[in-house]
Amino acid sequence: MKRKVAIIGGGQTHHASHRKDVNQVELVNEAVRAALADANMTIDEIDAVLLGNMEFFEGCHMTDCWLADGIGAYGKPGLKITTGGTVGATIVVAGAHHVASGLYDKVLCVGFEKQEEGDSSAILSAVAHPLYGRFLAGAAVGYFAMMGASYMQAYGAREEHSAMVAVKARQNALKNEYAHLKLDITVEDVLNSRMLAYPIHLLEMCPTSNGAAAMILADEKTARERSDKPVWIRATETAHNEQFELDWRDVTTKKPIFSRVAAERLYKKLNVTDPTKFFDVFEIYEPASWAELVWYQDLGLCKPGEGFHLIEEGRTEIDGDIPVNPSGGVLSTNCIGASAMLRIWEAALQIRGDAGEHQVPKDVNWALTTAYGGTNWTVMTALSKEWDE
Amino acid sequence: MTEQELISIPLMVDVPYRFAAGKYMSKFLIELRDNGKFFGIRCPKCGRVQMPPRVVCAVCHVKNEGWVELGHEGTLLGFSIVHLPLTDPTTGKPHETPYTYGSVRLDGSDSALDHLINVEPDINKIKVGMRMRVVLRPREERIGDLSDIIYFEPIAGES
Repeated sequence: MKRKVAIIGGGQTHHASHRKDVNQVELVNEAVRAALADANMTIDEIDAVLLGNMEFFEGCHMTDCWLADGIGAYGKPGLKITTGGTVGATIVVAGAHHVASGLYDKVLCVGFEKQEEGDSSAILSAVAHPLYGRFLAGAAVGYFAMMGASYMQAYGAREEHSAMVAVKARQNALKNEYAHLKLDITVEDVLNSRMLAYPIHLLEMCPTSNGAAAMILADEKTARERSDKPVWIRATETAHNEQFELDWRDVTTKKPIFSRVAAERLYKKLNVTDPTKFFDVFEIYEPASWAELVWYQDLGLCKPGEGFHLIEEGRTEIDGDIPVNPSGGVLSTNCIGASAMLRIWEAALQIRGDAGEHQVPKDVNWALTTAYGGTNWTVMTALSKEWDE
Repeated sequence: MTEQELISIPLMVDVPYRFAAGKYMSKFLIELRDNGKFFGIRCPKCGRVQMPPRVVCAVCHVKNEGWVELGHEGTLLGFSIVHLPLTDPTTGKPHETPYTYGSVRLDGSDSALDHLINVEPDINKIKVGMRMRVVLRPREERIGDLSDIIYFEPIAGES
């Protein structure tokens, strides 16, 4: 990138299945105020505002128009972005590009979803081709179910391994004051929960959350002047799959699918040879527990087919050597338009040492985040504490 | 302060629209409807046979040409048994549960087709790699979309 870009502030709402006490403007404003307070800034200092959420999930279009006051966009330049589940990360990447290019010095990024106002499943079904597959749509769980079945068949993993991921997420969420699903559950609880689509039980899927996140990005000069703990955005990467080919559900596919392509390119930019040694913490996008096991191998945290040993051996626990989603992840909180931004914000909190009870017990110098869109594409970011040339 | 009354109003959005299938998808759906045949399209560069047919090969970014007729049989790549009564967006009614659906690669194709599978919803009765056959509706009931397929069914005696 042409100029260095740092995260100099951020904030989030307390995520929940119901936020009937606020409208959308009030919801996003909670996160924006938290981010401004965190950066010790006023809205007057912000040069541009970028906003994003899922298309039509709240039943209204052009949220950049509706929410202008709440996000502080009055009189300012900005734009609205919508890239499915990745949107929160795409907003941050676009914000980073705006700062890196020299166009602006301080950019406010806002992602949100207030799912209780709309019908997410109904809107999601319109993602599918009307004549080719829509009759089966609405079944996001079905896609991950095929991924899980494929994983077990290919590698000899068991349902317990997926359940362990679900337990880890909710145990971590118990330590995160902002998380939605805080459940003190066991592997037995997960496997005894209602079957949604074999092999996925209710407790192995993400919840439907309402919430918002906001982050402030700045150029190096501003960051060094205004922040004690700037977190540097070191690299970002995006890759798409082809339409109609849902290869990602087949864990044995040899095709260069989005997750592996993006990881490979991002590692090349940073000269990463062993991501488990290079990165100190991971915040990944796992709407279903099987997705986390697949991310382990797609990110190169293990060899293909060995991801379930990582969870079995506790290596991805909050105090493990490869901590994954100490925040509780998407499995615990999924306010979709904010979810991918929360991965980046939570990673930044870990680097700052400000994650509170869910802070991983080691020095965090580098963090990696991922997102899912569709899931035919991903957006990844790499963050660092220091910037040594 | 006493608790404030909050207003929340139920609304409905009902939007008519007309979806254009385009030349490639139209030919595919018309062949299915009128002749009960499946056609893929071959990329002149990488040779992949893609279904549904589409104008551009995503990998090579060249114009796809060369129609290929595919068989009615294929191999099961993945499946799920769904217990959640999800709504069929095309009818507005929930699918009857439990139901099995899966992804089948028709012989001669490099793509997979997702559809319902007519087997007992029991994980011991279905497995990846099983051979499957397409069961179509009779000609007079076919309308030119994937509902012209009733389901896949396992080919007896083969696995």
